[in-house]
Amino acid sequence: MPPTRRRRPTAPRGKLPWPLILAFILLLVGVRLSKGAMLTDAFAALSLPFWPGPAQSEWLRSARTVEDQARLEALTQDNTRLRQMLALQQSRDGQAEGQTVSAPVISRQTGGWWQQLVIGKGAVAGVRAGQPVLAPGGLIGLVASVTPATATVTLLTDPSSRVGVWLSRTKHHGLLTGVGTARPVVRFLDKDPEARPGDLVVTSPASTLVPPNLPVGVIQSVDASADPAPTAVVQLIAPVQAVDWVQVLRP
Amino acid sequence: MELLNRQPLVATSLLLVPFLTLVAPPWLALVGVPPCWPVLWLLPWALADGRRSAVLLAAVLGMLMDAIHHGPVSWLPGLLLLAWWWGPLSMRRPPIEGPFSLGLLALLGTLLMDGTLMLQWVAWSWRIPFGRGAAGPDPAELAQPGWTWQDLSTSGLHVLLAQTLLTALLAPLICTPLLRLWRRAHPSWRG
Repeated sequence: MPPTRRRRPTAPRGKLPWPLILAFILLLVGVRLSKGAMLTDAFAALSLPFWPGPAQSEWLRSARTVEDQARLEALTQDNTRLRQMLALQQSRDGQAEGQTVSAPVISRQTGGWWQQLVIGKGAVAGVRAGQPVLAPGGLIGLVASVTPATATVTLLTDPSSRVGVWLSRTKHHGLLTGVGTARPVVRFLDKDPEARPGDLVVTSPASTLVPPNLPVGVIQSVDASADPAPTAVVQLIAPVQAVDWVQVLRP
Repeated sequence: MELLNRQPLVATSLLLVPFLTLVAPPWLALVGVPPCWPVLWLLPWALADGRRSAVLLAAVLGMLMDAIHHGPVSWLPGLLLLAWWWGPLSMRRPPIEGPFSLGLLALLGTLLMDGTLMLQWVAWSWRIPFGRGAAGPDPAELAQPGWTWQDLSTSGLHVLLAQTLLTALLAPLICTPLLRLWRRAHPSWRG
């Protein structure tokens, strides 16, 4: 009798662990597509106790600060040089503290035909006609005339006041014009300044009279149908009728 | 004129006018507008001392007021006109001294004074109406300073009315004692 061949037990045909294989393939594809995200995440979790301490992070931050300061310095110098080339006013940021003169308000005429302040510092203290005058909140006017001990400041609300401004949001230019009331008006130079109530009005970088980006006021209402270009009523930030001390910016 | 010669100290009281204008007490203002102090000073002076003295001191007062206000507009024309008008009233018999008369004269005088200021602003700021170019207005035209006709017809009118009313209301209170004081010092009124 021929010996009987015993068959090895084999896995039943069609019983391969296909779900497992498919999951493994998908896992590999996922790892490939995610650039090893799971691996690196796992590595990060495992190596957490051995990460660099906060000291090295501080060093990096410090280096970044120094780099930022150096870049700011270079940009400031570049900006100053360009503004000098264009004969524009210097930014207030570039001015030293000694270049401002604090002065008390000794007379205030905010109603009537003239809207002006008289301040208790004049030519002796270095105040000159044309210098911008700031109060807490922003620009309030320009020095109109000086005596040895006093200076007269034309307020932004005076009808003879004209200051170049722009909207900090849309960068559209206009001319801030006093109209004899407590709220001056911005007469825009564009047909569509995209202004809306609440927009911040600051001095224009193109102005030859005042340093750029000094806060002036907030738009209260817009007249889009004004001719020849839209206008906007501005509420000044600085409390002109209550201010007792002002700062005169010297160039 | 005699009062001016005899009472130089009284005449120097006109220095108070620019000082009061600079002080501008907020409690003595109507909707933020102060009274017209030069009118309140000039009215009793003109009624007490005649045209020549009034015109002379109106010129001095006008120059003092111009000195403390910036811009090309002057107080002189208005004050000189008022002195010219009010001076001959000093010869009236019976003399003007009632509160209603003083109030009415101050009211008309302030209207005239502010009217001359407004006329000067209109003349100074006279410009061709803004162009209607597609690119917007001309910045050079916008940059011309001063009261525009539109400003004068809105906020200017508000200042005119408030100042006129306040000055007329204060005239009996301020002009009456001043008028009595100066008439008492005047030789022709000493009896």
